[in-house]
Amino acid sequence: MLADARMTTAAEGVTAAFNREAAERLAAGEPQWLRERRLAAWEVYEQTPLPTTQVEEWRYTDVAMLKLDEVRLEEESGDAPSGPAAELLATGAEAAGRALQVGARLVEVECAEELRAKGVVIADLATAAREHPDLVEPYLGTRAVPADLGKFAALNGALWAGGVLVYVPRGVHVEQPIRIGRWLGRAGVAVLPRTLLVADEGSRVALVETFASPDFDAPALSCGVVEVYARSGASVQYVGLQRWGLGVRHVSTQRTIAERDANLDTLVVNLGASVARVDLAARLEGPGARSDMLGLYFANGEQHFDHNTRQDHVVPHAHSDLLYKGALYDRAHTVFRGLIKVHPKAQRTDAYQQNRNLLLSPEARAESLPNLEIEADDVRCSHGATVGHLDEEEMFYLMSRGLPRRAAERLVIFGFFGEVLERLPLPGVVEELRAAIEARLR
Amino acid sequence: MPYNETVANLGLEEYKYHFITKDKPLFKAQKGLSEEVVRQISAHKEEPEWMLNFRLKALRIFQSKPMPTWGGDLSKLDLDDIYYYIRPQDRMKRSWDEVPESIKETFERLGIPEAERKILAGVGAQYESEMVYHSLKKEWEEKGVIFESIEDGLRKYPDLFREYFATVVPPHDNKFAALNSAVWSGGSFVYIPKGVKVDVPLQAYFRVNAEQMGQFERTLIIADEGSQAHYIEGCTAPVYTTDSFHSGVIEIIVKPGARFRYTTIQNWPHNMYNLVTQRALVHEGAHMEWLDGNLGSKLTMKYPSCYLVGEGAHGEILSIAYAGSGQHQDTGGKVVHVAPHTTSRIISKSISRGTGRASYRGLCKVYEGARNAKSNVQCDALLLHDTSRTDTFPYIEIEESTANVGHEASVSKIGEEQLFYLMSRGLSEEEATAMVVRGFIEPVARELPLEYAVELNRLIELEMEGSVG
Repeated sequence: MLADARMTTAAEGVTAAFNREAAERLAAGEPQWLRERRLAAWEVYEQTPLPTTQVEEWRYTDVAMLKLDEVRLEEESGDAPSGPAAELLATGAEAAGRALQVGARLVEVECAEELRAKGVVIADLATAAREHPDLVEPYLGTRAVPADLGKFAALNGALWAGGVLVYVPRGVHVEQPIRIGRWLGRAGVAVLPRTLLVADEGSRVALVETFASPDFDAPALSCGVVEVYARSGASVQYVGLQRWGLGVRHVSTQRTIAERDANLDTLVVNLGASVARVDLAARLEGPGARSDMLGLYFANGEQHFDHNTRQDHVVPHAHSDLLYKGALYDRAHTVFRGLIKVHPKAQRTDAYQQNRNLLLSPEARAESLPNLEIEADDVRCSHGATVGHLDEEEMFYLMSRGLPRRAAERLVIFGFFGEVLERLPLPGVVEELRAAIEARLR
Repeated sequence: MPYNETVANLGLEEYKYHFITKDKPLFKAQKGLSEEVVRQISAHKEEPEWMLNFRLKALRIFQSKPMPTWGGDLSKLDLDDIYYYIRPQDRMKRSWDEVPESIKETFERLGIPEAERKILAGVGAQYESEMVYHSLKKEWEEKGVIFESIEDGLRKYPDLFREYFATVVPPHDNKFAALNSAVWSGGSFVYIPKGVKVDVPLQAYFRVNAEQMGQFERTLIIADEGSQAHYIEGCTAPVYTTDSFHSGVIEIIVKPGARFRYTTIQNWPHNMYNLVTQRALVHEGAHMEWLDGNLGSKLTMKYPSCYLVGEGAHGEILSIAYAGSGQHQDTGGKVVHVAPHTTSRIISKSISRGTGRASYRGLCKVYEGARNAKSNVQCDALLLHDTSRTDTFPYIEIEESTANVGHEASVSKIGEEQLFYLMSRGLSEEEATAMVVRGFIEPVARELPLEYAVELNRLIELEMEGSVG
């Protein structure tokens, strides 16, 4: 009996889609080190129980909502999106390079010739692992998102497909953003995208990753990983725009590492999917490093978003600043759980954390858990959280100018989100995000 | 969901048993917990059968619940190495002269003059698990105020007692509430009749002086409609060598329109585990304030809470935590808004010194139906050394779009400029530090009655000794 029970636990989350054979199949033909990493990740996955709501970080999200049993592994590509779908991915926007994933495959990878000449690499991650192992092996699943970070980091570590590597060599400035599009054309499947961005010393780059699909009647799963490294003095912006259709379950683990004097900002926008469960962490590993973590979420209907953020200060003299804002309609439920962790040696840390929520419908529900763990004394840390409703005076003012209530409401929400968008130093991208949010508010 | 349904669903169920006990065996103190120990406690107290059954049921709940894995480190707490009940002195003391010298000495050390002690009305001193000294001002008796040891409350006012006992903190609430429910001993029973205003605070000093002695005090307070009172529980205790354990339950019912304030200043010995559940049910238009000062102990886990179940109810929690080296103060507060137009405020100030760790853990919950609820939480932490640690773990759970909820926290080091300024005025670094700390806690300390503010300041100064360097 006992042995049986243990085996059941060990096999939690092993399904017709997620199993060792799938990991073996993906590893076939890959370099030995990568093959070993996949299989080691699979071991971790098998041995890690599925999180329950007894686990603090999963208190508000029942893993059953992810419908892991109802998806099979997507191994196909599909037709590249066209028309309105292509617009969702902003494939027409200016870019220094781009990659497009459809289903399980990358169908398009391009890099401006001038950048390629400077050594910039935008490549299929599996290909890059063979051709540029020196750019992949030290970074993939090592310091940022190792498999033992959690059940879903391990799942991605074992089964990722359609991965993208972006590498910017020392001192190279990439002026236009690089864009990655992740498109899912059908329900009933799981995709496991992985993004690895390495910005070498003193380089500059902005990466915009968009996740999109039509609405589905049945569940689909995206279990992604994003790893970003800003080496000394690099300046990096990573923007993730999640506009999956309904039906999609979005699970994402994102870790950024900022070395000495690096600037590493992230903005994560959650607009779509039925369930989004995102783990986002910024690790400040060098003095003088700075990370802004920005987030926006807009949820309506029955959407359920759960954000877990972490600001890890392990060295002195680093700075992090988090601002997450959300607006909720209908029966939407959102969770923000943030942690500023200041390790004992991280003196002179400056760390801030703000979460603001607007509840716009009586049934909407927001949880906010801004946490601090401070083990150094010479620090400046503060956090704040609010949950509130529309300011009726603002509304009154706008409506007295002749705006209908709904339009006034939109305007107020826009203003509310504006504070976050303004902090992103990428004007073109900000405009696109505004448009995406506007389309969502309509 | 209408809010009164939410109230019904909070899980604060009542317990009713209908038997009377007869036999009374001799009590023998023994370490560890068993059904036999619980039966002995109950028999020794000559309790009615319903209370024995309540205790036994609570014991089973305690045994079935796992140890909490959050909060502080409880791995060193050996629940089998504790006396769950120690025989009290043979009889209740009625006058000051009869109070044992050793207790008077402890009072003395606290620095409160005897004259003042006498002025402070209704002093009940708890010593080794039971009330030993108890007096109540005559005028209160005339007003119908009841201020008894909890045992006497059960004996003299069985119906009133039973109506409210364990309705605010039921045994299944948490593992240590269950433990307390099984082995409770000592504490106060207070009833303030309708419309009665008690001007002078009700005070209950209590002490823990025996090694390895468990202290499971239980206090039940009912402030009837429109009444007003302030209850103060203060505590200092000498240092022991081995671990000690305190697990109390405080239940307060604040009826419509009543105002009640409960003040605790605790300075436990540094090897004490202090795990307390204190909660108030606040009815329509009523005000409840917790003023909570935690000093000493090895680990304190204590989150005074206000369940705002009546329209317009207000709850307030003012908290000071001081974590010296080797100590962990895991404290904070909970405000649960169930009814419309309820308001609450939490102010928490914590100081960590040496290897001390102060954690704020709080909950602000607004249930659906608690329309226009407002809550504001502010936590400030002061760190004195580079080995000190502080955490903030607030939970904000909002199901109501008309709610207005804010939380703010800040962490700072003691300001070198402040110290420099004070020292340039001739203060030593120690004095300057103590002064900054006093200034830091002042917003909470000023709410204390004068003699407590003085005592708190004295304790802070005492704690600051040797804090520099």
